[in-house]
Amino acid sequence: MKKKIMEIEEIINNPENIKTVDLKTLFNSFLSEIKNRIASYIGDYPTFIEPVFLEENVKIGDDVLLGPNVFIGTNSEIGNYVEISNSIIFENVKIGENFKIENCIISKNSVFNFSNLILKNSILSGINNTEDDIRKIEF
Amino acid sequence: MPEREEKGFSRIKELESINLATDEIRDQVIQTKKEVEKDNKKLAEQLNRKFKSHKIKSYDIVGAIGAGKTAILERITEKLGLNYRILVICGDITTRVDANRIEKHNAETIQINTGRECALNAYHIHQIIKNKDLNDYDIVFIENVGNLICPSEFILGTDKRMVIVSITEGEWVIEKHPMLFKMSDIAVINKIDLLERLGTNLDKMINDAKKINPNIDVITTSAKKGQNIDKLMELMGL
Repeated sequence: MKKKIMEIEEIINNPENIKTVDLKTLFNSFLSEIKNRIASYIGDYPTFIEPVFLEENVKIGDDVLLGPNVFIGTNSEIGNYVEISNSIIFENVKIGENFKIENCIISKNSVFNFSNLILKNSILSGINNTEDDIRKIEF
Repeated sequence: MPEREEKGFSRIKELESINLATDEIRDQVIQTKKEVEKDNKKLAEQLNRKFKSHKIKSYDIVGAIGAGKTAILERITEKLGLNYRILVICGDITTRVDANRIEKHNAETIQINTGRECALNAYHIHQIIKNKDLNDYDIVFIENVGNLICPSEFILGTDKRMVIVSITEGEWVIEKHPMLFKMSDIAVINKIDLLERLGTNLDKMINDAKKINPNIDVITTSAKKGQNIDKLMELMGL
């Protein structure tokens, strides 16, 4: 699992060279191997549909639905009313309130400083203060 | 959405009662409630079509915590053995205690921890099923979150709903929770091995279930002793 997540990270760090077919295969293979790990997080009882893998110190808001097939990296913050399925969120990511994220990869240190957005089948990164700031690669 | 309205909606969601809506947003709250019910029904119907098209038998199992839902499922999956490919979706506020028990009997399990929600809904099931190849299964059991109130709000798209109570809950338990019995196909009264010791009025429980829903099949069981499990499976069409 660790090896695949590192491979995915390397691919998305070089967006100009992304071969979406290869990435999709690797992405699906990684998601199919995720084991459930929800023992430690900061928050009050979100809904989990397993498998969900949370690394250390993940903060989760109220009325959040995570899963199935979700990986969230260390120190990431998930806002209230967020729903995430079939996605990889790397470390130090901050997601605003009422996001619905499906089949996405969000690279490390990405920030979404606003509310209400539906994201599907995309790779996302960077500091985004409004929806207009988002630069996404569809895959 | 203005902040005041947003707070109003949030409060309504938490308290689950339209009577708490302020006059200004009452119509919107009712409209939202209607839409949620409509969306759940639509998704449940989609799920049922999917199950049927793959010749999968599907069951929603509801009942209070401690009634014996997991114990009965353990008995059933044990008896079905290796002849069937079984998926069990377990709903609980937290933990995967029930899923761990059931998967010892040759069934694949998926746990949903609902956190603050007191019942599974069709969207939860849809999120799991859309990621599965239904050609891999013959039977899907859904063990709902343990209580006798909330699951009546949401149908899940299964062929049958089975409500399980136990005689330890007292002989008024059925009379006090009519909605789930009205909406179920089978009523199981479990733990009858304790009947002599507890002196519960079993006839009253059976009559109450029939009075609320004349079409419901009522069966008494002891999951602990394995009593009437074969008969229950017959009623379920297994």
